[in-house]
Amino acid sequence: MKLQTEVLVVGGGATGVGLVRDLSLRNIPCLLIERGDFCSGASGRNHGLFHSGGRYAVSDPEAARECIGENRILRNIAPHCIEETEGLFVSLPEDGLDFRDRFIQACQQVAIPTRLLSRDEALSLEPGLHPDLLSAVQVPDGAIDPFELVLSNAKDAEALGTRFLLHTEVTSLTINRNRVRYILARDLLHGEEYEIEASYLINATGAWADRFLRLAGFHIPMALSRGAMLITNQRFSHRVINRCRLPSDGDIIVPNHTVSILGTTSVRSEEPESVEVTSQDVSLLIQETSKMIPAIKEARLIRAYAGIRPLFQSVEKGEDRAISRGFVLIDHEKRDGIKNLMTITGGKLITYRLMAEKASDLICQKMGIKADCSTHQKPLPGAEKTRGFKDRLKALGRMDILCDCELVLKEEVEEVLKERKLYDLQDILHRTRLAKGTCQGGFCVYRLLGILHELGMAEGDSNKKLKGFLEERWKGIRPILWGSAAREEELIEGIYKGIFNLNNKE
Amino acid sequence: MQWVRHMAENMNKKAWPKHNSDLCIRCASCMAVCPVSRVTSLFPGPKHAGPGAQRFRKPGDPSVNEWIDLCIGCHLCDLVCPSGVPISELNLIARAKYLDEQGRPFRDWLLTHSYLYGKLGSRFSRILNPLLKNGIMRWIVQLLLGIDRRRELPVYDSPTFRQWFRNHLPQEGKKVAYFYGCYINTNETDVGKATVEVLEANGFEVVLPPQECCGIPMLGNGNFKEARKMALKNIPSLLQAIRSGSDLIFSSTTCGYMIRHEYSHLLNIPGSEEVARKTFDLFEYLRNLKESGNLKTRFKALQIKAAYFAPCHLRSLGIGLPALDILRLLPGLTIENVEADCCGLGGTFGFKKEKYEISQEIGNDLKEAIDRLEPEIVLTDCEGCRMQIHHLTGLKVLHPVQVLREALIP
Repeated sequence: MKLQTEVLVVGGGATGVGLVRDLSLRNIPCLLIERGDFCSGASGRNHGLFHSGGRYAVSDPEAARECIGENRILRNIAPHCIEETEGLFVSLPEDGLDFRDRFIQACQQVAIPTRLLSRDEALSLEPGLHPDLLSAVQVPDGAIDPFELVLSNAKDAEALGTRFLLHTEVTSLTINRNRVRYILARDLLHGEEYEIEASYLINATGAWADRFLRLAGFHIPMALSRGAMLITNQRFSHRVINRCRLPSDGDIIVPNHTVSILGTTSVRSEEPESVEVTSQDVSLLIQETSKMIPAIKEARLIRAYAGIRPLFQSVEKGEDRAISRGFVLIDHEKRDGIKNLMTITGGKLITYRLMAEKASDLICQKMGIKADCSTHQKPLPGAEKTRGFKDRLKALGRMDILCDCELVLKEEVEEVLKERKLYDLQDILHRTRLAKGTCQGGFCVYRLLGILHELGMAEGDSNKKLKGFLEERWKGIRPILWGSAAREEELIEGIYKGIFNLNNKE
Repeated sequence: MQWVRHMAENMNKKAWPKHNSDLCIRCASCMAVCPVSRVTSLFPGPKHAGPGAQRFRKPGDPSVNEWIDLCIGCHLCDLVCPSGVPISELNLIARAKYLDEQGRPFRDWLLTHSYLYGKLGSRFSRILNPLLKNGIMRWIVQLLLGIDRRRELPVYDSPTFRQWFRNHLPQEGKKVAYFYGCYINTNETDVGKATVEVLEANGFEVVLPPQECCGIPMLGNGNFKEARKMALKNIPSLLQAIRSGSDLIFSSTTCGYMIRHEYSHLLNIPGSEEVARKTFDLFEYLRNLKESGNLKTRFKALQIKAAYFAPCHLRSLGIGLPALDILRLLPGLTIENVEADCCGLGGTFGFKKEKYEISQEIGNDLKEAIDRLEPEIVLTDCEGCRMQIHHLTGLKVLHPVQVLREALIP
C-alpha cells in the first residue's frame, strides 16, 4: 500500500507521540509508525517518576531546569496522568548532611522549591521511613502514568487527523539526491507492506535511534544504559522517596497506584532489547531501597523489569545541535547532508513535550512556515477526568470485575476493546490496569480471552497468544520468585498446565 | 539458573512477607465459603474485601467501601485460608474505620448495649414482653430504629440468672468460674441454670466473678473503643478468678471467642492471654473431664431426635465439636450434625432492616439442611444461632447443656 504524508515520525514512545500531537496542533499532517505498541520502549519501562528535577539539580542543572519547567506545565495539561504526591530526599546517617546542603542550594539555583523537614516531620508524613534518618527535603516530585500520558497524546493527535501504524516496522530507507524519498515498512502481524512517502522523516526511536539510522548508513553514538526496577505488592509510601546523595543504584521508591516501584540500577548495555533483570539487580535494589523504608526487606514483590535509557553519548564537534544535556535534536541536513531527516532522542519522559516542541519548531523552520506551539497550554483529552484509583474500590460489589487485583471492570476493558482494533494481548494491558496487580494477569487473562471471544475479536491462534502472554509474564516474575509469590505461581501454573492443558504440544 | 539460587537465598533471609495481604495467593478458597457473597453480589467476597481491597486502602484516606459493612464477621474465610490471612480481621478494621467516619445510628448503639438495660428489662418483663411481641410495636420499632419488624425481639426472664444464683443452694467443691454473658443473665436464664446444675453434678462449686458484657456486640459493629472498654472492665475480675485457682467456663461460644481470642489478639488487653489460657468452652471442659476419667457418664435415656448446629465462633475456636462429642454419650438421644455454615444472624447483623433479607437468605440453606434431618429439637451453643434457627424453622432450639441436664441422674 502506498501512503503519503507531510511528516513521518518513527517511534511510538512519548517523544514520537508527543511530536505528532504537536505537529497536528500546528495543522501539519503526519503519520506515526511504530514497530510494537505505544510505549514499547523506555516510555513503558521506567519508574513513572514525575520529576521535579531534584534528582538532577546537583549533577545536571540544565536537565533539572527542563524538568521543573515541564513539571509545572504537565500539572496543567495532564492532571489525569499525574498523582501530585510530593517527593522527599531522605538523608540517612551514612550519607551525612553535606550533600543535602549542596542539594538545597542547587535546587534553589534552578528554581525547584524545597522544604527542609526534620526527622520527626518526615516520619509523621511517611511513617514507613527508616527511623534513624537525619532529615528530608521535600520537592514537587510526583508519580506519572506513562501509558495514560502517551495514549492521551495519541488520542488527541488521532482526532486531529494523525494516522498511526502500530506493529509496523520500517524495513528500508531510500535516499536520493540528499533526501529520504520513501521508506518501506511491513505490518508485523498481518504482513502488509507499505511504501510511505513523506516530506520529512523524524527518527524518534529512542534507544533504537542509532540502529534506525544504520538503515540510512549513518551512525550516532548512543550510550545505552539498562535500569532494573522492582514492583512491590503494596504501596509503601504516599510520596516519592529519594535518597539524598548523588544518583546511584537503588535510591528511589516511586508510588504508583496500588504499588511502589523500587529503582534503579544502571548498567551499560549494547542492545536496546536486553531488558533481563538479574538476581544481582534484585538483591541490590532490595538492599538499597530498604535502607530508606525497612519494611521493603519483607515486602512481597510482584514483578521485576528493566528499561533502556536512550542516552546520547557526546556532542560531536560543532555539527550536532545539542539542545541540552538532557536530550538531543539532530538535524541530519547539517550533520550528514540529508535535508529532510532529523533525529530526536535522549531526554526523559517528563521532557517529552519540550522535545516535541523543539523538534516541531525545527520542522516548521525547514518547511518555512510559522506556526506556534500550543502544547504547553492545551490540556490533553481526559484532563477533565479525576484520577482516583479509589473509585475502583467503590465499584466493587456493583460491577463485574475482570481483574481481581487492580479491580478493572469488565465494561472498562470492553470499552477499550471496542474503541479500536488491538492486535496483541499486551496492547490491551497497556491501555488498562489489567494484569498490573498481585497475580500479574495470572487469574484474569483467561477471562480476557473469553471476552475477546464474545466480542468476536479472538482472531488467530488463541493458545499461541496465551502462551506468548505467559512467556512475557514469566520474564517479569522469574527474578522475584520466592515466598508467597512462589506459592501463588504454583497455583497459577496448575491452572494453565492442568486446566488449560497448555503443556500439550498440539 | 541464577534465579533458583536467588530464590534459595531469599528463603533463608526470612524474607517471608509480614503484610497480611502479601500472604494472599488469590486461590479464592474463601470465596467458596463466604455466606454473604453467596447470597448477594453487593458484597464482593472475602478475597476482594480483605486482602484485595487492602492494597487500595491508605491509612489517612477516607473509606469508600460502603459494602464492607456487609461482612457478617463469621470468620469462615479465616478458617479455610491456606495462607493464614486474617481476612475477617482486615474486614473488621476496615468496617470500623468506615463506621467511625460515617457515624453509627442510634439503632446500633441500642443493639450493642443491651447490657445497660437488660436488668431493667428483666424487672419489667411482665409489661415489656407482650410489647416486644406486639406487631404494632415492632412496626414502630422498625420505623423509628430500623430494626426489622419481621425479626422477633428477645423477651426477658425474671428474675435474672444472677438473682437466681444468689438464692440457690451453693455446693462445695473445686471452684470453677462461670462467664454466663448478658443474654443468659436476662433473656435465657435456663441455660445458665443448666450449666450450674451440670457442673455441680460433676462435683464443682460454681462461682460467678463480677462481669459485664464481653464487648463482642460492639466489636462486631466495628466499635473498638467500646469493645475495649468492656474488656478492660472484665479482665481484672476474670484474672482474679483464675489467679485464685479456678478455671473459667463459658457457655456462649460468642462470649468465649471474644474473651479467649479477641481480647488479646485484636484488643491487646493486658492480662488477657493469661485469662485465655484458663478459659474453656463448657463442653470442651466436660470433654477434658471425660478424657481424664472425671466426668460422670451415667445418664438417663432420652428419646429425642435432635439436630446439632456448630456456631461460627465455636468453629473459630478450633476445638472441634465438643458438645456433639458429649451428647453422643447420652443413651436414646439421636443427634445429627447439621451440614451447613453460618446461620445468618451474625449477632446484631440480622436485626438491621437493611440486612434482614441477606440474613434470611443465608439462613435458608441452614433451614433446608435442618428440614432434611426432621429433628424434634435443634441444639446449638450460641444464643444468636438459637434465635435465628427458631426464627427460620419454628422448632424448639436449646443449648446442648439443657439437654445434658435432662439426662443427669440425681
